[in-house]
Parts: sequence; C-alpha cells; structure tokens
Amino acid sequence: MTRRRREPIAFSIRSLLYVLYGLPLLWIILTSLKSQGEVLSSQASITFDPTLDAYRAAIADPALGAAVRQSAIVAIGTTAVCLALATPAAYALARVRSATVVPALTLLVVLQMVPQTANLIPLFWLLSKWGLLDTTFGLVIADAAMFLPWAILLLRPFFGQIPTAIEEAARVDGAATIRTFWSVALPLARNGFLTVSSVIFLVSWGEFLYGITFMLSPEKYPLSSLIAVQSGAYGVDWPAMMAFAVVSAVPVLVVYVASFRLLSSGLTIGAVK
Amino acid sequence: MSSSVPPVSAPTSTTAAGPSAPARVRRGRRYGRAVDRRTALAIPAGALLLALAVWPLAQLGSMSLHTVSAATLNSTWDFVGLDNYAAMLREPDFGQVVVNTVAFVLIVTTIGMVGGFMVAVAVLSSTRGGSFLLGLMVFVWALPPVVNGSIWKFLLADQGLVNQALRALGGQGLGFLYDSKFALWSVALVNAWAVVPFNALVLRAALLGVDPQALEAAELDGARPWQRAWHVLVPAGRTAATVLTILTIVYAFRSFDFIYVMTSGGPGTASTTLPFLAYSEAFLTLDYGRGAATALIALLVVVVLTLIYARDVRRTEGEA
Repeated sequence: MTRRRREPIAFSIRSLLYVLYGLPLLWIILTSLKSQGEVLSSQASITFDPTLDAYRAAIADPALGAAVRQSAIVAIGTTAVCLALATPAAYALARVRSATVVPALTLLVVLQMVPQTANLIPLFWLLSKWGLLDTTFGLVIADAAMFLPWAILLLRPFFGQIPTAIEEAARVDGAATIRTFWSVALPLARNGFLTVSSVIFLVSWGEFLYGITFMLSPEKYPLSSLIAVQSGAYGVDWPAMMAFAVVSAVPVLVVYVASFRLLSSGLTIGAVK
Repeated sequence: MSSSVPPVSAPTSTTAAGPSAPARVRRGRRYGRAVDRRTALAIPAGALLLALAVWPLAQLGSMSLHTVSAATLNSTWDFVGLDNYAAMLREPDFGQVVVNTVAFVLIVTTIGMVGGFMVAVAVLSSTRGGSFLLGLMVFVWALPPVVNGSIWKFLLADQGLVNQALRALGGQGLGFLYDSKFALWSVALVNAWAVVPFNALVLRAALLGVDPQALEAAELDGARPWQRAWHVLVPAGRTAATVLTILTIVYAFRSFDFIYVMTSGGPGTASTTLPFLAYSEAFLTLDYGRGAATALIALLVVVVLTLIYARDVRRTEGEA
C-alpha cells in the first residue's frame, strides 16, 4: 500500500529525468542521421529520411581519423603515465606515517582544484621553452600532471583498505619494499586501479583545452578539441558535428559499460570531480 | 582516509579505520626506517607535480607581476609590480565578471545539490528502472563536456528544439545563448544538468547507509513520502552533502568547458566568469601578464575554498 502511494511521485520525477537526460542523447543520434537541409528547416522533426551521409562524410574526412587517432594516443598515454606515477605514490601516502603526509595530501587537494586556466598560462610558456608545444608528448605530460593529484587521491583509500597484516606477513617473509607493493598490495587494490584507470581515460579523452592550446596545428587536435572548435564556429554543420559527437561517445560508452559497477562504487569512495 | 574522501565513505571508513587505527600507529613506530623507504615510491609523482604543477603556478605569480605579451613570452619580461592587478580592477567589465561568477556558482551549486538529492531519492529503491536511469545519467556525466555543451548549444539555438517547443506551446522563441539576459542562466543550468548525476551518485551512496527501520518507523507514524525524505533522509545525508557542496562550488567556480563551447563568454561579457576571463585575456587578447593576474585571483578563491574543505574533511575524519 505504501509502495503504491510513493510510486506516482517517483514515477513523474523519473519520467522528467528520462526527458532531461535521454532526449538530448536521442537528439544527437537523430540529428546525425538527418541532412543539413532538414536540420535547418525544422530541428524538431521526427519523421525524416534517415541518411548516413553525415557519417559517410565524417569517415571520408581525414580530419576525423587523425583526431580519433590523436585522442586515442593522448588518452591511453595519459592514463599510462598517470597510473604509473599515481599508484606507487598512493600506496606510499596510504602506508607511510609521517608528519609530511597531511600537508602532502592538502597540497594534492589544492592542486586538483586549481582552475585549468591558471595552469594553462604558465604551462604554455613552459612547454614553449622546452620545445614541447605542438608535440603529443608535451600534451600527454601536461594532461598527466593535471589528473595526477586526482588519481592519487582516488587510489589512496583502496590501499588504505588493505589489512596491514597481509603486508606485514610478506615483510616477515623477507619481501622488499617494492616487491611488497608490486606483488602484495597492488593485486589487492586491483579494483581501485581499474576504477581510476577508467576515470582517467574518460577525462583525458574528453579534455580539450590543453589540446587546442598546446597543439598549434589543428590537424594534431584530439577529437574533443576538434569538436570544441567546430561547434564554436559560425554556421555549424550540425549533422556532421553530431556524427563527430557520436563517434567520440563510442569509446566512452565502451569504457563506461565495462566499468560501471566499479565506477559507481569507486567514485563514491574517493568522490571528487 | 584521504582528504579527498567525502563523508560518503565515512560509514565504511569508520568501521574500517576505527579498530585498525591504533594498530597502524604502533606499526609505524615499530617499522621506523622501513617506512622511509616506502616514501621513495612517491618521488616520481612528486617530481612530475613539482615540474608541471607547482613550478608553473609559481611562474603564474611571476607573470602576473610582469608585462608578458606574445612578442615577449619567450624573452625577458618587464617588471611592472602590481600594474596588471590595477588594470584588471580598472576594467569596466570586471565588476560584471565578478557578479557573473558569483551568480554562476550559486545557480550551479543550488540546482546541483537540490537536484542531486531529489534524483538520489527518486532512484533510491533498487528497482531495475532506478538503476538504469542512474546509469544513463552517469553516462551523460561521463561524456566529454564539449559533447554535452554542443548538444545544448544545438537544442537551445534559435530554431532549436527548446524554442520550437516553446513556439508550439504558443510562447515566443528566446535567445537563450545570445540574449545577455539569458546567456549566463543557460550555461549555468546546463552545467548544473551535467553535475546532478554525479551528485546523485554520491548522495545515493550516503542514503543507502540509512537504516531502513528508521524509514519504516516514520512511515508507521504516518509521515508522507516527502516528509520522510525531509526528516529522515536529509539529516542522514547531511555530512556527505556538506563536503559535496564545497566540491560543487569549486566545480562551478572553475567551470570552463561549457562556457567556451556554448557562449564563449558572450554576448559581450554577459556569461564570462573569472577563469574564463583569465583565458580570454591570455589567449585571445594575448596579454599573458594580465591573464596571469586574473588567474591568480581565481586561484586564491579556490585555495581558500579548498582549505575550508580540507578542514571539514579532517574534522569528519577526527570524528571517525
């Protein structure tokens, strides 16, 4: 009886949420299947001749292929660099008891929250000085440095949860510091590692500001930078734009579906966006 | 636990850290030197952060005290003291930008928190429909912000879906993105839309820790569903909500992507916030010194908010 009383409100809220979050997604897909003429005449039309022209044009557009490749390299590279550095650091910060840990954590929290534009200005100068502007390597290390504090803070609780007794047993058996980390702690923090890898992949796949700023030649832009530039232009070709958006959403969907369970628990453990 | 951890995890961390905490302290003392060796594992990360996060911020401070233009970026900079700051304050639009920033943060935070809580309650029951809806929403949150921004730029355009719906209902089309009355609101609402799923995810995790018996008791006492939500669930989520609110404020304050894609801060400076102003000064007018001064002010705001946050988390940890 109480169930029945509660449902109407929950039902109407849920319906509203489906409209607010489902409809925009549906509209990208519908628009990507329209012709530019149809979009300009009436955006609201649901009846139209679906056409794959936008996708055909997008695939034929060499810019898209290059941008997807660039995005993949940057996102995978950033994830690799970030995790390679964050994992041992998170372990150390979870285990070491010293007076420097709290200031270090506070510094990480501050760094994680620095507005991106505050880093952007001096990094532009720094990368230019080091001759790393317009290079994929420069973009990867800039992205990795931006996401590193977050990755460490997200990972640390996963190491903190491991009972110290397990590691002490390994130590008693004579395992060295690095071995204890690598073959005892890391496997036990596997979920955290996978969660943070997915998160860092998703955010670096979506990052666009470093991309458009540090890459001087537009043909080296990652996909999200390309989308940002195109949607900022006048007279946007919306079906093409939406086809690009769908293409950029595909890897997100794959990673997301593969890691949803991990994400929904892992993000709430170390929740910071 | 970590200072990034909102009290959402407090229920678990209380039980996990409670009994083991004294043990850890003892172990730390016993190990002495071995502990130092583990510190070395943080060195690579520390080095990268020093080179590409801490050092650049020091340079930002230095740039804000010099004249740095596109021509002089890679040569020596002329020291001008606080001129960049003075010029920033003299700028007639500066007051407008500060007001925009405060309004933007208020809109995103209020809707982000209230909306997040309502969604969390709506999807609380673990029915398949609720999980699917939350899954869909979090997927939208995980999409690249440029994609979400572009979708809404499209939907809010002159001939966009929203305006067509308004006209079909007999209303008038609105210039959501190019009318200075609406531009800031439009971008802020879309930003709130983007953060609600995440906040719902976090708050739902906090609410799942509520004792179902408390809800049943309220129900037996005749409390209506939304009374139960207000009197039982809201207090339960309060600690999580406090930290999440600060996080949302910081998120809103540093928001850049949606403004860039949807309005570029316009029309005029109608939807420009402080971090966006720093960007446009540095990379559109190519006055890096000026941009650095603005960015530094924005940075100080974030540092103050973060220290409040860190203190709050430490207090919760102390309770745990």
